[in-house]
Amino acid sequence: MKKIFALAALGLSLMASAQKLTSKDTQVHINASTPVEDIDAVLNNAVGILNTETNEAVWQLQIQSFTFKRALMQEHFNENYMESTKFPKATLRAKIGGVTDWNKPATYKGGIKGQMEIHGVNKDVSIPVTITVNKDGSVSIESEFSVRTADYGIEIPRLVVSKVAEVVKVTVKSTLKGA
Amino acid sequence: MRKQVLAFLALSSLGLWAQDDLLAELNAMAPEAPKQFAFATFKGTKLVNGSTVEMPGAGVGQFIVGHRFGALNDKPLYNLFGMDVAQIRFEYSYNPVAWLNVGLGRSSGSKTYDGFTKVRLLHQSKGGKGLNSPVSVVWYSSMTLTTVPFTDGFDHFFTDRLAYAHQLMVASKLNDKVSVQVAPTLVHFNLVPLASDRNDQLGLGFSGRYKLTQRMALTAETMFRQTPFAGTHMPLSIGLDLETGGHVFQFHVTNARSMADPQWMMQTPGSWANGDLFLGFNISRVFTHVKPKELR
Repeated sequence: MKKIFALAALGLSLMASAQKLTSKDTQVHINASTPVEDIDAVLNNAVGILNTETNEAVWQLQIQSFTFKRALMQEHFNENYMESTKFPKATLRAKIGGVTDWNKPATYKGGIKGQMEIHGVNKDVSIPVTITVNKDGSVSIESEFSVRTADYGIEIPRLVVSKVAEVVKVTVKSTLKGA
Repeated sequence: MRKQVLAFLALSSLGLWAQDDLLAELNAMAPEAPKQFAFATFKGTKLVNGSTVEMPGAGVGQFIVGHRFGALNDKPLYNLFGMDVAQIRFEYSYNPVAWLNVGLGRSSGSKTYDGFTKVRLLHQSKGGKGLNSPVSVVWYSSMTLTTVPFTDGFDHFFTDRLAYAHQLMVASKLNDKVSVQVAPTLVHFNLVPLASDRNDQLGLGFSGRYKLTQRMALTAETMFRQTPFAGTHMPLSIGLDLETGGHVFQFHVTNARSMADPQWMMQTPGSWANGDLFLGFNISRVFTHVKPKELR
């Protein structure tokens, strides 16, 4: 019985190659503002892929693609905090829960469980997301969550602790389309 | 029970593989990694007196105040290690585009006004498509105008007050900690002390930094000269860069007290051997005048 179950699972994951949606223009906005200093940055070239058969998805972005209002902040972000020459990418490996039918247009309040890799550190995460299955078959995923810099070994020195928030707000908008 | 756990583990590891497969597909989808340009080769656009290949980003202006105190060997206790007397230089520069920096400065030494331009010709890079450069190359030109009265009793042309410095700065960020810069230098003086002195002076500038921590770096700069003026010495400065968010503080000890280019490069009267040393600091602050278009 268990063998059959395992085989079935294997079969499922192999079969799954058909239903994949991708995104090359996922927007990510990060905000580490404090009362003293406005610190926010955007990028709109994160990539993502969603397998609707297995509810699994992966997103990845290049740290150096973030654009800040202040060029010096961008330099410090890359040089002092993210060490982006050493750790150029951030990755989210996700399992999406809460969607009952990927083919019927609807909006779901769902969740993501998975692993986020930032600054070379892998951490289990659980994030609330809003998932919209659009009429054209594409899927829009929006999410707002917080990242604690200390969890990923990103040190904020005492000298600037009043200027840089230790909990960074992240907003993601990703529309994944079929090939 | 144990079998169930095993089955669950097998399943969850399958899931993990599937995600790694997805990741591989994702990488196949966007195969070319973007070209990475070297950033923060140095913390400041100046190291001590000399310029570096760094400049503020596009649409960003930068204000620098430089202080050089009195000589350490001039009654150090009475003058509190030179703190009682200081020369000062202000500078403001602006980057209309990422590769061009223009600025104005004024030093109290010889009451010198200056204007300067920096043009980035090559940016150190790695990865991505196309050719990569192991070095950054920046052209630097400045002009100075001294406004103290002449005391030699002769009539002078206005142009006698002008001097020019040109540098081809070639820098490389060798690794996270070490950056070096070499700068072939040409200084032209419209007026030189002696008829036998050359108006065009060649030099070779060397600068380096070693990062002690993420926000602190040791720096040094010097200038070898081909035909030094009589009574002048090779400038040598050793400094410490401290970075605090929007500011860079640079503390240093140097034998070159003048901050205007031709003067510190070619006309440094004091020497390390005689203890003619000066403490000093630079403080910089950047101002974003035009936001990047992604955030407008």
